[in-house]
Amino acid sequence: MTNVVILNSQLHRTLRVQAGASARFGDDRRFVQVIANEFPLLAIHYPVFFAKDADTGAFYCGAMLGFDEGENLFLEEGRPQSAYRPLNLQRGPFYTAGNELAVDLDSPRMDGEAGEALFTPAGEPTAYLESIKAAMRELRDGLERTKIFIDTLMTLKLIEPVNIKVGFDDGTKRDVVGLYTISQDALRGLPDADVLELFRRGYLHLIYLMIASLKQVPVLAQKKNRRILAQSESLGLARL
Amino acid sequence: MVRPIHNIVIVGGGTAGWLTAGVIAARHQGRMKTGFTVTLVESPSIGIIGVGEGTWPTMRATLEKIGVSETDFFRECDSAFKQGAKFARWTTGAADDAYYHPLMLPQGFTQLNLAPHWLGGGGGDRTFCDAVCPQGALCDDGLAPKMITTPEYQAVANYAYHLDAGKFAPFLQKHCTQKLGVRHVLADVESVIQAENGDIASIRTKQAGEIPGDLFVDCSGFSALLLGKTLGVGFKDCSDVLFCDTALAVQVPYERASDPIASHTISTAQSAGWIWDIGLPTRRGTGYVYSSRHSSEDAAHEELARYVGPRIKELSVRKIPIRSGHRELFWKNNCVAVGLAAGFLEPLEASAIVLVELSAKLISEQMPANREVMDIVAARFNEVTGYRWGRIIDFLKLHYVLTKRTDSRFWIDNVDPASVPDRLKNLLHLWKYRSPWFFDEFDRLEEVFPAASYQYVLYGMGFRTEVEPEDNEGTQSMAARLISENATLTRQLRAKLPKNRDLLQKIFDHGLQPI
Repeated sequence: MTNVVILNSQLHRTLRVQAGASARFGDDRRFVQVIANEFPLLAIHYPVFFAKDADTGAFYCGAMLGFDEGENLFLEEGRPQSAYRPLNLQRGPFYTAGNELAVDLDSPRMDGEAGEALFTPAGEPTAYLESIKAAMRELRDGLERTKIFIDTLMTLKLIEPVNIKVGFDDGTKRDVVGLYTISQDALRGLPDADVLELFRRGYLHLIYLMIASLKQVPVLAQKKNRRILAQSESLGLARL
Repeated sequence: MVRPIHNIVIVGGGTAGWLTAGVIAARHQGRMKTGFTVTLVESPSIGIIGVGEGTWPTMRATLEKIGVSETDFFRECDSAFKQGAKFARWTTGAADDAYYHPLMLPQGFTQLNLAPHWLGGGGGDRTFCDAVCPQGALCDDGLAPKMITTPEYQAVANYAYHLDAGKFAPFLQKHCTQKLGVRHVLADVESVIQAENGDIASIRTKQAGEIPGDLFVDCSGFSALLLGKTLGVGFKDCSDVLFCDTALAVQVPYERASDPIASHTISTAQSAGWIWDIGLPTRRGTGYVYSSRHSSEDAAHEELARYVGPRIKELSVRKIPIRSGHRELFWKNNCVAVGLAAGFLEPLEASAIVLVELSAKLISEQMPANREVMDIVAARFNEVTGYRWGRIIDFLKLHYVLTKRTDSRFWIDNVDPASVPDRLKNLLHLWKYRSPWFFDEFDRLEEVFPAASYQYVLYGMGFRTEVEPEDNEGTQSMAARLISENATLTRQLRAKLPKNRDLLQKIFDHGLQPI
């Protein structure tokens, strides 16, 4: 359940938020929406794809964190996450409501005394709250800019569906569907004027970051495979 | 001297005219810059009939080829999904008598014929449709055949459309003239000028003078201005097979904006014909197609009123004559007829628009390079199109000959062997001992109704094919697997597909993605 209210320095003066990455706080997601500004930070860790919003069918950009429902292979429970954490996970229990910042009081992150304070005893925003505000601003503007980027690619027919098939050492296979990426054939076939336009708008850079990020798929698969092996080894030990 | 075919003139601006213009112009887009032209001449004073609010799944490929966006088509033509037809009260006339003719093929249809296995009891107590295909259940649940994330023109369950015919022609017109370079001339044809060999040289119009052409497409509707009136091609009446000759049509508003929209055509048999019921997002289109030899207009009106309810008093009922039959030839000299000018049948299986699509496709793909080869193309066109009309007449008649109803003269007369075409009679005889499947009977590349359609109607109406259990033995386990796969698929689709109205609303709000 959620209980989202506008953040208020009087009412929420003593509120604390557990900001770290953890499955129990809701970071257990295999795909998370991202914005184009994040691509340089994301592409060295995550495969970045387009996907469709289940409710509207509209395309958005997202980072792939795992293969199975609820699987985030970047979580290192008990330790801070080493890979860049997408803004949509960084923002934790915060939302925007118009120009105001809102917070979900029922979020598991709000449970107890631990965590980051939002306000100083004098009622001033803490550095943590300021960082959240900055992240929310970046997200809001970034979503709009990312939508324009996607619309441009759609107009140029540069997006195509991609089917990811991987097999793991335990003999299981995954067939990840519903993802889309840059069509490299269509990109090669673009008229010069369109290429120049993409370059000037900074989109060519984003396009190549997305293409490069595809190389993270096998890396992600290896990550999962190591977990599978570790798990079966520990099971093996338990049987001994 | 070889006379190239460069200038195509289409006479008539209804659904047939604009669809044909779109299909030809899209196919020959590349030649447009070298002088190939498509001109559509439409009378500003003659209205369009606008019959045909149901299509076949072929319309998806047709629209995609013409290059229109499916989202625009849904939004601008008040279109909705159609997953087949439900035939109520055709077999016994009882209140619970109904079967589906869905658009999905039976599970594994290309590998194995499930009909003998179902007849042998392999489907349990399920109807044939439910045993072999999920679509009947999807229709029962009022579900859409796809999701908002499914790309344009792609399906989760095969589908066609219901549409507002009055909006479809203007929609196509806009696309044809703005995107495909079709020339639109608003003018009344005053006379037709023929060459010595009988070819049409030009048409003389009141507002736009003389319009010459190399190939003329007659889409002038019932009047068949070029092929019938000018070239004198006769009309082959088939009211001895199909008795319905009149329709009373009425558009029925939904009671509440949130009322469910059926994702299939509902066809309910009456005492002298049947009532169609087609769900659009904005209204239902209904109408009683009946035989005036078996019912008076007043009696028919009364039956329609019973179906629609007391609201019919506030609605306007339109009477449309139906002359069942088709031209003896469809292409003569340099003139080919498409749409009502070629012929018309009762709209039982939505065959009107599909015949337009098939004819337009054939003309565009077989477009004669010059006048010298046109007669060869014409002969082939006549052969194929004549075959198609025959198969459609057979298939429509099939719905009538299998009835067990004896409650009115109409149904009794319909099973009179004298009214059944020989070919259909032979097939029915054959099917007593072997169920239709694809290689044995339906051998044409673009067969209008596949063998699966015959199976759905035959076994939906209680027809029995004798089955030797020994004959099924070799494929028993495969049949069991296919039937159980269908049950699984049905469960999955019922869980994931949205309600028909909900998806149509989403398409209106957000649109479908092209990929």
